[in-house]
Amino acid sequence: MFAEFMQYLFSGLTAGSTYALVALGFTIIYNASHIINFAQGEFLMIGGLGSVMLMQYGLPMPLAIIGAIALAVAAGILIEKLAIERAGTNDIVPLIIITIGASLFLRGGAQFFWGKSIHALPAFTGNTPIHVAGATILPQSLWVLGVGAIVVCLLAWFFKRTLIGKAMLAVSHNPNAARLVGINPRFILMLSFALAAALGAIAGAVAAPVTLTAYDVGVMLGLKGFVAAVLGGLGSPLGAVAGGLLLGIMEAFTAGYISSEYKDAVPFVIVLLVLFLMPSGLFGSRATERV
Amino acid sequence: MKAVLECRELTKSFGGVDAVADLSFSIERGHIHSIIGPNGAGKTTLINLLTGIYTPTQGSIRLADRDTRGLAPYELARRGLGRTFQNLQVCMNMSAIENVMVGRHLRLNRRFIPALLRLKSVRAGDRDCRERATELMRFVGLADQIDAQPSEMSYGALKRLELARALAAEPELLFLDEPAAGLNANETHAIGVLIREVAARGVTVVLVEHDMKLVMAVSDNVLVLNYGRRLAQGTPTQVQNDPEVVSAYLGGA
Amino acid sequence: MDWLKRIPLPRMGLIVLALVLAGAPLLFSNPYQYDVAIHVLINAMVAVGLNLLMGYAGQISLGHAGFFGLGAYVTAVLSASYGWPVYLSMPAALVVVAILAFVIARPILRLSGHYLAMATLGLGILISIVLRTEAGITGGPDGMMAPPLSIAGTDLYDERYWYALIAVLLVITVWLALNLIDSPVGRALRAVHGSEVAAEVVGVHTLGYKVLIFVVSAVLAGLAGVLTAHYAGFVTPDLANFIYSIEFVTMVVLGGMASTYGALIGALILTLLPQFLTGVDELEMMILGAILMVVVIFMPTGLVPTLGRLVPGGRR
Repeated sequence: MFAEFMQYLFSGLTAGSTYALVALGFTIIYNASHIINFAQGEFLMIGGLGSVMLMQYGLPMPLAIIGAIALAVAAGILIEKLAIERAGTNDIVPLIIITIGASLFLRGGAQFFWGKSIHALPAFTGNTPIHVAGATILPQSLWVLGVGAIVVCLLAWFFKRTLIGKAMLAVSHNPNAARLVGINPRFILMLSFALAAALGAIAGAVAAPVTLTAYDVGVMLGLKGFVAAVLGGLGSPLGAVAGGLLLGIMEAFTAGYISSEYKDAVPFVIVLLVLFLMPSGLFGSRATERV
Repeated sequence: MKAVLECRELTKSFGGVDAVADLSFSIERGHIHSIIGPNGAGKTTLINLLTGIYTPTQGSIRLADRDTRGLAPYELARRGLGRTFQNLQVCMNMSAIENVMVGRHLRLNRRFIPALLRLKSVRAGDRDCRERATELMRFVGLADQIDAQPSEMSYGALKRLELARALAAEPELLFLDEPAAGLNANETHAIGVLIREVAARGVTVVLVEHDMKLVMAVSDNVLVLNYGRRLAQGTPTQVQNDPEVVSAYLGGA
Repeated sequence: MDWLKRIPLPRMGLIVLALVLAGAPLLFSNPYQYDVAIHVLINAMVAVGLNLLMGYAGQISLGHAGFFGLGAYVTAVLSASYGWPVYLSMPAALVVVAILAFVIARPILRLSGHYLAMATLGLGILISIVLRTEAGITGGPDGMMAPPLSIAGTDLYDERYWYALIAVLLVITVWLALNLIDSPVGRALRAVHGSEVAAEVVGVHTLGYKVLIFVVSAVLAGLAGVLTAHYAGFVTPDLANFIYSIEFVTMVVLGGMASTYGALIGALILTLLPQFLTGVDELEMMILGAILMVVVIFMPTGLVPTLGRLVPGGRR
């Protein structure tokens, strides 16, 4: 009983760790611009699938992963520069559609260049399961959790202690005021996309040995990451992490105790409940329009 | 003279701040009222309370002797309330006359099936609506911009367009939120003339304004707010000479 | 011929549409072409409804394929599993779609922007998951068969009759949509899009109108699904796949938001696109994404309004 519980908890935390990183990516871009980047999941896909492909071209794994991350960052910057900036509008619906278009474009590109097959990245430190509290956990899952934790700490340090990080926070609170003290919101936006892309790619690369990867893996992950961000409160980094972990755990427990077939429905039921009952999520804040 | 609107101990708190506190006053039918006060005095909060956009924390509002608590703006519109906005709320996706025609919404056949089938009553109603809207646009001085796109119209013209839209609903009580904001002296004078003409048509007008010349020129009654509370109320001359009002505006006589 | 000049442009378009639809079969030489045309018409029906919601009322829905799939399945289940005659199961399916849309509309439409987008997306995906999972009722991922429509005792299999039926329904739909837009209801909807607060203070119950148009557009999507079910003879959960929701949105955006004829053009182009891409269909997704981005960036009002501005008097 307890062993079962721990098993679900671990698998939930592992998946949740990935969702948390995706959700953080959403949050960073949202904070810089109030844009929801529907292409966020694709950064994950580039991280995972890109690593596999680069390894197939002969690169050793660490370099392949770095290369994949660089690819994702490039994609993110291009999306921001060529699409978002060019659109020159702040209207929500067009921007949503642009990022959906970008997501399709990246996914289609991956399908075209890298094919439709499912691939696995080799596990970083082997596949021997570790036994903890009666449950088994793969070493790679520990990597997912560990890397996730490290990334979150690094981000916290970045935002609180570095000048650029603080500049990004300033833009999220008040872009005009930030502009007045010499911060360029356009640059910050580009940085946000780059950072979110890197986050996504890292999460994708680390999770790929466990979850396998393919050209369309970004769709569900992106959506679930968004649900996690909304659950935690859109705009709150703490909320993103909490939302991600919570979502992973709820999924795992639903699959384990209720119905494994409806596991995929969990995020969407959650998002509807949150949006109807508690739109600002766990840690978010709500602004009102001034008339 | 029966009051068309009455407030008792009206209070609105945001967090710990009382934007409007313990405000009691009444608005008489057929007069032009103004609400003035220094910045932050609570004028916009008050107008939002009275037009259903905010809900009072405490106190009551009675419109034609019926409580308005909990009524949404569209329900208040049905009771004869209209307003214009300080930060222009013009529908940029419709032409000028269509904006005014929307104002007439409550007087038209709004039912779904007739609209779907374009029944005669709908078509006749729309023709009539267009005529009235045209007349209103002439009334506010926009006769030459009937089919113009709002994006091409000047700020002053858009303000008058909003007025036309509000008048299209044939309100009994009309709130004008800073109608002179952003207008020069000539335009302000013109708005003042327009406001008088509106009142002459039988509409009770309430202005929230900063422009003292306009307020003093058109108002029958002035309510002065300060820190969300009523500071003074009376005729323009009375209020002008009230020492408390003077000190609130100028900071100590 | 003077009466011809007095017909406003949108009504002219209706006549042109009817003529085009009536004349198109003269170009068809095999059943496959009829099949493609039918798919264009079916997509067009969804697009017209979605355009009312997105272009005129200014809302967004990323879940309309869910209503499409739901309509298809309800009529299939009622007629195949419960023996209902098809001419009863079809309207029943529409009623079910309308009820679900109505129930979900009130809470969903209090949201706006990306919250609304996300909620509609979630709804659509939930519908597709349920359709896929409840294999006992729906036949699971492999789908199920649906009996054909019977008119006057004969089963309707022939593409030509289906084409005629759906073409007539489409013309009626466009006519109704045009009527709605040019009425107090239509103006109220556009006002909701332009400025909700302004609409409210002149007496428009904005939430009520949003709900109304959401249900209308959902029922149109459901109708398209219902027709597909009995035309194709089988239904699969894939009908509710959210990629189709995205495609419907693309049709509206491409053709023109707030343009009924634009929605038709958008549906035409996007349904025919795969036909031109045979041989490079791996590029299809990339092209779809590129279209979305390019149109929104360079032609934000869409194809038809942008071209329409070049023609004097054309703006619907």
